[in-house]
Amino acid sequence: MATHVPTANGTEMTGATSLVKSLEAAGVEVMFGLPGGAILPAYDPIFDSTIRHILVRHEQGAGHAATGYAQVTGKAGVCIATSGPGATNLVTPLMDASMDSVPLVAITGQVPSAAIGTDAFQEADIRGITMPFTKHNYLVTDPAQIPGVIAEAFHIATTGRPGPVLVDVAKDALQKMTTYNWPTSINLAGYKPRVKPEAQAITDAAALIAQSSKPVFYVGGGVIKADAHKELRQLVELLGAPVVTTLMARGAFPDSHPLHMGMPGMHGTVAAVTALQKADLLITLGARFDDRVTGKLSTFAVNAKILHADIDPAEIGKNRHADVAVVGDVRETITALIPALKAALAKSQPDLAPWLRQMNSLKSTYPLGYDLPDDGSLSPQQVIQRIGQISGTDTIFTAGVGQHQMWASQFISYEHPRTWLNSGGAGTMGYGVPAAMGAKVGAPDATVWAIDGDGCFQMTNQELVTCALNNIPIKVAIINNESLGMVRQWQTLFYDGRYSNTSLDSKRVPNFPMLAESMGCVGFACDNPADLDKTIEKAMSINDQPVVVDFRVHKDAMVWPMVAAGTSNDEIMIARATAPDWDSQEL
Amino acid sequence: MSTAPRRQHTLEVLVENAPGVLARVAGLFSRRAFNIDSLNVGPTENSSISKMIIVVGVEGHSLEQVIAQLDKLISVISIKEISTDKAHAVNDTQPDYQN
Repeated sequence: MATHVPTANGTEMTGATSLVKSLEAAGVEVMFGLPGGAILPAYDPIFDSTIRHILVRHEQGAGHAATGYAQVTGKAGVCIATSGPGATNLVTPLMDASMDSVPLVAITGQVPSAAIGTDAFQEADIRGITMPFTKHNYLVTDPAQIPGVIAEAFHIATTGRPGPVLVDVAKDALQKMTTYNWPTSINLAGYKPRVKPEAQAITDAAALIAQSSKPVFYVGGGVIKADAHKELRQLVELLGAPVVTTLMARGAFPDSHPLHMGMPGMHGTVAAVTALQKADLLITLGARFDDRVTGKLSTFAVNAKILHADIDPAEIGKNRHADVAVVGDVRETITALIPALKAALAKSQPDLAPWLRQMNSLKSTYPLGYDLPDDGSLSPQQVIQRIGQISGTDTIFTAGVGQHQMWASQFISYEHPRTWLNSGGAGTMGYGVPAAMGAKVGAPDATVWAIDGDGCFQMTNQELVTCALNNIPIKVAIINNESLGMVRQWQTLFYDGRYSNTSLDSKRVPNFPMLAESMGCVGFACDNPADLDKTIEKAMSINDQPVVVDFRVHKDAMVWPMVAAGTSNDEIMIARATAPDWDSQEL
Repeated sequence: MSTAPRRQHTLEVLVENAPGVLARVAGLFSRRAFNIDSLNVGPTENSSISKMIIVVGVEGHSLEQVIAQLDKLISVISIKEISTDKAHAVNDTQPDYQN
């Protein structure tokens, strides 16, 4: 790749060249996109740019790939599309990135400024459309503004609570001549995120922790975003309290650590869910009291005080009142909290031993598990577990949304941050394959597995063509239960087994291995448990092409434990109509 | 929904004088189910800044939450509460729901 040479301010060029030079100046190395009429002027200088442009097959793939890239690298992901339908195809990835706080910059072409508002060909008000789920967005009609807007977009996307920013550029602004002028500083009157926490808040937080005898670390995705996993571990080991990691925080704290109780929430472990419910203090770090974690809010952790540390002031008190709030970057917060807590514990050291004993008892009594199918068919949980065990803890996993996503969260052991990528807040089916593509581009030396469902795979598999042609050898495990498995599970549990429109017949059509082969991938299938390990090993041995494995699994497997939607976490079930035996636990 | 008494608060919000800002503010209130009782927009002595006077009816949300969400809009420069009717009895949690 050519080295980027900064362009001198004051140079005359087109708006399009200014856009590409600005992206280079912002440090962009890769972008995912697909050209069309309105954005076409920008594609001419892209041809000469140091930025690697990966031509996708659908703009949604570009958006999720940029997200996967961002989640693996910690840098902003960049996607680019044309006006109208090109731009609207980015809507789902933008919403996804917004819900999961992913730094993303989306560039879209817009019809010429004189045509805006005339229902011109391929005109869509993408700024208006994306207002609800971009951190900010722009419509640029003056080419002189391009460098400043691009600099602001990356600043906004990557600082504070990360999020997506969209820059819509009118075609004539790309075509006109302008003077390139990359800003030396950014000053936004309405954007001053607080990074450093208040000293008083840290002191209050330490005092509250030191008074608690049943504290739990409720760890969210913000810990990974802030690269605070090392500091988290120090803090946890200082206090010696149990830890739960949410779906977005898997890998923020090692699964193998004895203080780790697992994932809380709708499909969390009994130990993690109960830890939150019975705690007297939730040490909430970069988490947002999502309904999938809290269950019925009025019954959530009713005896717990709340310490809430988040970079977004609007998360404080949004769903649950915070007794002590710490606004700031969570790494700064934890770093400040460690000495403050040491000082507080020196004055009064609570005895956490009884609490830990209770939690460890639940952890050992109710481990995650599954039954192998009676008929000798493949167990989806076992497939996922073996992929995790065989490929190792440096592997990056992505998932679609549904049962396979929950099993991939439950049965793969995550030891490192940024190794588990999924669509948590948005629940975007089809996230898995394009996110894996972006992840592999961001971490080319890592093994990247997409654990996908047969339903999800059929939404975005076209990006395997992109992978095959651009030397992006990802591995895809289709957990093929020939149905929309999670919806089917709800139908089993709550709709009397009336399987309305959840059967996909994907063991008949399509033929996934043939489909994979047609897209330039290696494709094969596995339906026999005896072949499972050698099938996974075969997939692991192919590193020059994308691999797709159709794991044809038992379709009646369900995700347990489960807290049914809208019910209390206290009503967690470990199997159908089976609650934990609370009487045998001292709680 | 909440049984908390309805309270009105008047906010003076300084915003960038730029296209789309009114839509950002109105859209925020709409999608977060905050109530706008009235909204006025006018110029300030600084031509790059406009002033919005928003009367907010707080039901089921705290005023703090309304202000915090407004403050997240990059186009919003400052927010000041300029009057409130009597008490501050507001809910600080959203109602439970099922989905």
